[in-house]
Amino acid sequence: MRVSLQPAYLLHSRPYRDSSQLLEVFTAEHGCVSLVGRGVHRRARGGSLRANLQPFRPLLVSFSGRSELQSLNAVESAGAGVQLAGERLFSGLYLNELLLRLLHRHDPHPTLFAGYASALDQLAAAAHSEPVLRAFELQLLDELGYGFDPAEDAHSHQSVREDGWYRYSDGLGLVACAPDAGAPGQRFPGSDLLAIARGEFSGAAAGSAKRLLRMVIAGHLGGRPLHTRDLFRQYRQGGTAGGEGES
Amino acid sequence: MKFSPALLELIEALRCLPGVGPKSAQRMTLHLLERNREGAEVLARALLQAVEKVDHCQRCRNFTELAVCEICADTRRDHSTICVVETPADVLAVEQSSSYRGLYFVLMGHLSPIDGIGPAEIGLDRFQQRVLEEGINEVILATNPTVEGEATAYYLTDMLLPRGVKVSRIAHGVPLGGELEYVDGNTLAHAFSGRRQVDPGHQ
Repeated sequence: MRVSLQPAYLLHSRPYRDSSQLLEVFTAEHGCVSLVGRGVHRRARGGSLRANLQPFRPLLVSFSGRSELQSLNAVESAGAGVQLAGERLFSGLYLNELLLRLLHRHDPHPTLFAGYASALDQLAAAAHSEPVLRAFELQLLDELGYGFDPAEDAHSHQSVREDGWYRYSDGLGLVACAPDAGAPGQRFPGSDLLAIARGEFSGAAAGSAKRLLRMVIAGHLGGRPLHTRDLFRQYRQGGTAGGEGES
Repeated sequence: MKFSPALLELIEALRCLPGVGPKSAQRMTLHLLERNREGAEVLARALLQAVEKVDHCQRCRNFTELAVCEICADTRRDHSTICVVETPADVLAVEQSSSYRGLYFVLMGHLSPIDGIGPAEIGLDRFQQRVLEEGINEVILATNPTVEGEATAYYLTDMLLPRGVKVSRIAHGVPLGGELEYVDGNTLAHAFSGRRQVDPGHQ
């Protein structure tokens, strides 16, 4: 199979042999693919291929091969991309790890690809990164078929009541529960869920959205935690304390 | 024809080197045994000695057979500046440029959360302790201008700035002898955003 000039983003790369790299690339029409970039570190005319092959940058990749691991033939830059600085860099890495962990290889997700691109743009521009991350997490779950309606009770199929309390049931969705059932971290007020359904992740609903999505995503990760989350926590403990935290 | 077990073992052992496949390993083995037995003995001794003696420097984590490496022990160097690099090869590169007379700290990698490499794995806790204990004036961040290198630099900046340490990042831009036409857009953008006013004395 030969694919040429496919819009793509690099999610992750690791060195391989002398001057090659193993690349995990998220493409628009072929989903997440593993490529081997040969001679990426070799220099050609002022800058190596590596200069273009960076995460968070829109690329046009050409690759070919029949096996699971295909060969990268060419990379072109498809725009300046975004400059994520500081904490936003960690948020961007978090998005990449989510995609790497949850997407199946060669499973195309064109809508999610567009969503990822706009999430990166928003990360670079928005005042707060949290709502951007929450919206992307919801979209990712929807695309993968793990989606649920935050505004609907999965048992009664009625919409969530503003003053009710709900808990998340794996594979099912949100079900009504008593206001004092289970641990406080496990139940969510109806007003927050309605806000999440409207796409409002700031204010009072921010904490609920974070807890809810973290719980849902953890259920799909197979018990292995996300490393970027650990890093962010350590960063928070070691660095200066700030207002917003990661996912 | 079949090689003897000792020969096969050597061929297999040589394959642990990067970029050495079965064919090259076989060629090296035959060359060593046929033409350069002395060299083979020297190599074997050198390998053994290096593996037994060389360890990380207690202060900068670079490879050394001493407790504290020569660079760290050198009193003529500027002990108030530390340059943070990713690998021992980077130390060598900076040393060869002979533009820097301070000390180093070698991370032996970079923050790469997706691979599970966090601050503890690259010794950042120890680095922070060292900077505070030794009263370092300036920390120069010379990690690579990749996403992981930038993340590492940012993490370090955030760790050190609140503690009153001066932190600087090496400049990125157009390579010497390079041509603007062939430099990629992002590097050029960096070169422009990091441009420097020309000093009137050096026109």
